[in-house]
Amino acid sequence: MAATPPPPGGSPDGSAGGSSAGDGPPPYRRGAVPAETRPDVTTSPAGRASMVAGAASVLLIAAILLGSRELRDFDSALVPYAVATVFLTFGVVYRYMMWISAPAARRMFREGWAAALSWENLKRSPTALPRMAATYLGFQKFLGARSHARWAAHQLIFWGCLSAAVITFPLTWGWFTFTAAGATGPGYEMRLWGVKLFGFDSGSFFGWALYHGLDLAAVMVIGGVGYFLWRRVRDRAATTGQRFGYDFLPLLALLTISVTGLLLTFSEMFLHGGGYEFLAILHMASVVLTLVYLPFGKFFHIVQRPAAVGMQLFKYTARRKGSDAEELRACRRCGQPIDTAAAVDNLRATMRDLRLGFDEWAEYCPRCKRVLRGTAYLSDVKRGFK
Amino acid sequence: MLGRTIFIDPGRCIGCQACVSACRECDSHRGKSMIHLDYTDEGRTVASLPTVCMHCEDPVAPCAEVCPAEAILITADGVVHEADPTRCIGCANCVNACPFGVPKIDLAAKLQMKCNLCYDRTSYGLAPMCATVCPTGALFYGTAEELQAERPGVDVSTEFVFGATTVSTGVAMVVPPERQAPVPGGLLNVIEVNGRSTPGNG
Repeated sequence: MAATPPPPGGSPDGSAGGSSAGDGPPPYRRGAVPAETRPDVTTSPAGRASMVAGAASVLLIAAILLGSRELRDFDSALVPYAVATVFLTFGVVYRYMMWISAPAARRMFREGWAAALSWENLKRSPTALPRMAATYLGFQKFLGARSHARWAAHQLIFWGCLSAAVITFPLTWGWFTFTAAGATGPGYEMRLWGVKLFGFDSGSFFGWALYHGLDLAAVMVIGGVGYFLWRRVRDRAATTGQRFGYDFLPLLALLTISVTGLLLTFSEMFLHGGGYEFLAILHMASVVLTLVYLPFGKFFHIVQRPAAVGMQLFKYTARRKGSDAEELRACRRCGQPIDTAAAVDNLRATMRDLRLGFDEWAEYCPRCKRVLRGTAYLSDVKRGFK
Repeated sequence: MLGRTIFIDPGRCIGCQACVSACRECDSHRGKSMIHLDYTDEGRTVASLPTVCMHCEDPVAPCAEVCPAEAILITADGVVHEADPTRCIGCANCVNACPFGVPKIDLAAKLQMKCNLCYDRTSYGLAPMCATVCPTGALFYGTAEELQAERPGVDVSTEFVFGATTVSTGVAMVVPPERQAPVPGGLLNVIEVNGRSTPGNG
């Protein structure tokens, strides 16, 4: 018999195949949802995201103007970097707004922040938020569970990039300034917004480390990037499905920034400034392009990762509301715990937002869902299957 | 259109676990098997059901839709991939939303894992590991025409009903030729199977 497989996507207008009038309501298909039941979208997410991103960029420009004491402390040689951070702010905020406008992210965003900002949670468990932030954002314990080597390499990149950002961003905005303490001595003063933070001896180890902070950061980043590049070439799990733009480009960008940054120091120390201008432009171009690229590729995980803290805090506080047994939702078939009741309810609401009409299945564990389907196949499709 | 994909025929499955072992060899999740093999009515029948990711097409990948971290990528060829380890926050939304019960999660590593149709193999035209080793053809990789040329008189279905919702998938199941209705995704309040009551249902 010549059998024909049914079209997997249904008909182009979204109507469900296989149903007929008079058999009760047709199977629920998202394409067939009447227009009047769709959520009313009066403001487009892209428009709202553009406005918020524009406002954030204007705020940053104002902060640069004020923080650099009306550009008195602003270093005009660093203008391209400062402009790149304004574009970076626009891109990150726009992308962030678009991200949290999707139903799943929006609900998790609300629940995460509600848990983080809850006075009741703070009173009951004051250390939960800082502990989770340190675990998931600072020390990235979950990466150790994936691979110790990846954890170590990622820590090098993370702390290297973080220290580089903490040093350079305020410098390019004219917020940090270094001034001589006196006309004769080796003393220097570090100032923030024109206010003296501390003084130090430029010849001391602290002074050396302060002036070579970016070199130290570059060495850390090169170590981490080196491992990840090796992994991208040799590890068979990593090479499966990897993409140049998503997986290699960020590593190559970090490597270029770090190497050109170190070469600037090398030129200054050993070449009497030879090739410095070319290297400075190369370094600047690599930094600016990386900052502008940040919201669109793999680097956006830097902005997304705090969601892990919000999610974990949301589940943690839900478990602690009453006794654990009460707040865990058990599979309705086998009784095994699935997740916290709040997380399951949040997921079911997300599924309803997305018009996924089978949210009731979320209250069954994965194995029971498979067994129920196998049982239905056994009794309804192929009775010989026994 | 249904191109080269996996066709599952539970009627042929003998529960030998060869697919489970072979899946562990897949490079993208080496050492961990992503295929599920369930004995649906253990102790009473030898019936078993292999489950790979069905690569839902309509609604497209509910697991990806409920992901708050945009971690699950769907490639243009319709393959729904495992979570991007860079983005996955380990919230388990995908695990609980999937009506087929496919994704797995490592809570310590904050990482979801699932069948990606052996993308390292299928993207080069090779059959997935599970279908390569299945001794009975319960897991068949190819086109519907190739399946029907080998097994005259069988039909396939890519439509599954969960309550009032029909889900169309990229992976198909073998059904009897006379069958027109979509495959049931399971009844949530199963009272009896083959005339026997089922204990423990909700």
